Amino acid sequence: MSESILKLESINTYIDQFHILQKVNFEVKKGELTVLLGRNGAGKTTTLRTIMGLNPASAGTVTFKGENITKGAPYQIANKGIGYVPEDQGIFYDLTVGENMRVAMRHENDETKERLDWSLDLFPDLKRFWKKPAGQLSGGQKQMLAIARSFINETDLILIDEPSKGLAPVIVEAVIDAIEKIKDRTTVVLVEQNFSMAKRLGEKYYILDNGMTMHHGNMKDLEQNEELKRKYLGIG
Amino acid sequence: MMLKRMKLSTKVYLLIGLALAFLPFINDSRWFMFLMIQIFVFAIFAMSYDLLLGYTGIVSFGHAMFFGVGAYSAAIVMDRMEASFVSFLLGTLVAVLIGGFISFLAGMLTLKLKSHYYAMLTLALAGMFLYIAERWRSVTGGNDGFTFRIPELPGFLEEHRNFVIYLFCLLAMILLFFGMKRITESPLGRVLVGIRENDQRVESLGYRIMPYKVLISVISGMVASLSGVLYAISIRFVDTSVFDIQVTLDALMMTIIGGVGTLTGPIIGSAIINFSHHYLSDLANIHWIFQRWMILFGAIFILAVIFFPNGIVGTIQNKLAKRKTKKKQYDTTEKSLRKEGA
Amino acid sequence: MELIINLSINGIATGMLIFLIASGLTLIFGLMSVLNFAHGGLFVWGAYSGVFFFSLTGSFWIGILCAIVTGLILGLLTEVFIIRPVYGNHIRQILITLGLMLVLSELIKVVFGPNVLPAPVPDYLKGSWLIGDITIIKYRMFIILVGALIFCLMFFTLRYSKIGLIVRAGVMNKEMVQALGINIKKIFIFVFMVGSALAAFAGALFAPSAGAIYSELGMEFGIYAFIVVIIGGMGSIPGSLVAALLVGLANTFTAYYVPILSMVVTMLLMLIVLLFRPQGLFNVSGVSNK
Repeated sequence: MSESILKLESINTYIDQFHILQKVNFEVKKGELTVLLGRNGAGKTTTLRTIMGLNPASAGTVTFKGENITKGAPYQIANKGIGYVPEDQGIFYDLTVGENMRVAMRHENDETKERLDWSLDLFPDLKRFWKKPAGQLSGGQKQMLAIARSFINETDLILIDEPSKGLAPVIVEAVIDAIEKIKDRTTVVLVEQNFSMAKRLGEKYYILDNGMTMHHGNMKDLEQNEELKRKYLGIG
Repeated sequence: MMLKRMKLSTKVYLLIGLALAFLPFINDSRWFMFLMIQIFVFAIFAMSYDLLLGYTGIVSFGHAMFFGVGAYSAAIVMDRMEASFVSFLLGTLVAVLIGGFISFLAGMLTLKLKSHYYAMLTLALAGMFLYIAERWRSVTGGNDGFTFRIPELPGFLEEHRNFVIYLFCLLAMILLFFGMKRITESPLGRVLVGIRENDQRVESLGYRIMPYKVLISVISGMVASLSGVLYAISIRFVDTSVFDIQVTLDALMMTIIGGVGTLTGPIIGSAIINFSHHYLSDLANIHWIFQRWMILFGAIFILAVIFFPNGIVGTIQNKLAKRKTKKKQYDTTEKSLRKEGA
Repeated sequence: MELIINLSINGIATGMLIFLIASGLTLIFGLMSVLNFAHGGLFVWGAYSGVFFFSLTGSFWIGILCAIVTGLILGLLTEVFIIRPVYGNHIRQILITLGLMLVLSELIKVVFGPNVLPAPVPDYLKGSWLIGDITIIKYRMFIILVGALIFCLMFFTLRYSKIGLIVRAGVMNKEMVQALGINIKKIFIFVFMVGSALAAFAGALFAPSAGAIYSELGMEFGIYAFIVVIIGGMGSIPGSLVAALLVGLANTFTAYYVPILSMVVTMLLMLIVLLFRPQGLFNVSGVSNK
């Protein structure tokens, strides 16, 4: 269980003239749920976007399953087996739930069918509203659709950006349950501001501040470390 | 005293203006005077265009309508009334007011939307004006247009009428050049450039950008109408061609070739385009491609947008600016070296 | 009554032609946010190549086919050489496609000659039917049928096929489509070529109904298409159809009853929409007009 699946080494990313990521070092072990923590504007979302190739890094390397994907186009990176759930969920509002899933399907074969059935069991609401335009779903249902869509293809790693954002506590519970089940099947990287959610799900953590990875380790240790929490997360 | 307080660039511009005023003494052939007048008139028109395109980032496809409105207003007023200075002033006033009003309307309607809305609306409005000019024969003379008289000049000036018009247009160009330069260098101008670069940022700084955009659209429309007035009196004739899309395209080309976002650019562009219009039509007898020079025009245009987006003046300015910073760097390193040595 | 029916048929036929041009334009804009002012140039190239190959081969259908091929080729060349260098910059897009428009319309004169070209209707579509007191011109009905067919084809493709779903998803959120593993550049080229082919196809259909064609038609119809896209809503196919029919009918009726207003009425429609519903009649979520 200690095989590295994703590795970021001294990643630097600019958006327009702004130097957003200044030095991000980051490693994800296969099968482990890693949480990216940090204040607003620390560079968590940009880190995920850099991995996906949506904001390509200007320096440093991103390695996925031993392959350098730093310069890859987003679609190539996705096709190597990375699923992505953006902060705004990236739902296609005018398409139905079913159509949203279909756009994402690379092949429409038995394997895909198996994964689809599994995720529909996980999120029964999606089955219920299969023919409903996705724009009419509730916030939680949209989040579930986005998550289900991200691993409809063979996926080794899923990047989820703030799944609890804007959701009612009850719904957050449901999302936590779902992610718990998903992490048995694939590796997950989670960006999260909600520390109680992060500590329940996370095994490893990385803390970002000002576009740099400041600290990392086991989630359990972070829970005890009041100083770190106060300094970087503004809690405790 | 005044001369001393002027900037060097202002002195250079004035000197060039003065030289141009004496040009007719060297070559006073009719076609040359006419060509120069065209250059002045279109330079004014292109500068007004650049106020939109270069300084604010607004694309207009219907700038010809201001030109046409200016030309027709002046022509109609002078034709209906007696050809006197009063009618000339009245015609100019009418032209500027109508031009300002239309651009105000177009601006209010579309400037809060994406750039193509303004482009489309002005294109459509210009089409409408062309249509009206063609159909409203009793006033515009339709496609044939009409000639009109301009006020007679007192005494011996009448004999040198072309020269007077030449000087008048030159003077108008110089005055409008400095006037617009003043605007672009004012705080207003800096807000406009900010809008062009990043309108959200300007908005977040607390400026409401709409009034600025509309204001510049109105100023541009008024200046363009003035150039139309000058055009009409320089040829003492007006027809529907003043509303032609070609007029807008000329302004666009002059601005792009000369240098977007500089006021000297459109003047140089106007000279280049007018000279090439003149000589390319002569070349038509030599090779057919020159008869279809619009292809060349379009191709140059495409290449200019891809490879030469700053135009002539813009490119030169960039080079100069680079050299200056280099020199500055050199100076400072030299100074710091000297300091260390001491 | 006869008059009203005939005018309606006329208006709908014109509307269908405008729809064919506008539908490509709206997809290109919605998906790639590219403002292609040269779109009308493809229309006029379609018209000329249709007429040219019709007279060369004697077959109307080969003419149509050649027009479509012309559209596909020109679309490909335009996307690769003209649009790609200026992605993401609207002002440069507007300028460069305007330059292309000039080149395309002038090249027509070089290739096919500067004169107005007569465009015949094929024999089997000539004449008219007499139903009661009403004469219906065959060719106009033909245009309406073909237009309706194309609309259905597009509508169902976009609604149910995989590529259609991808295109619609792309109009709403380009980035996400890529993050799902789809090469959006390929989709761009595809849509650009199909849109261009549709415009060329519309040109080939239009030529016989007008009887004669000239190079300035491109500008005229290009403007109509843009107005229709603005009225209908950027990125919406049904919006384009409704707006195109509206423009077609309004034009035909005013041309008959109040000829002086015929040009103005289209502009008035656009003005009203800009005033009261600047996002257009049908709005696709995700496509902004700001």
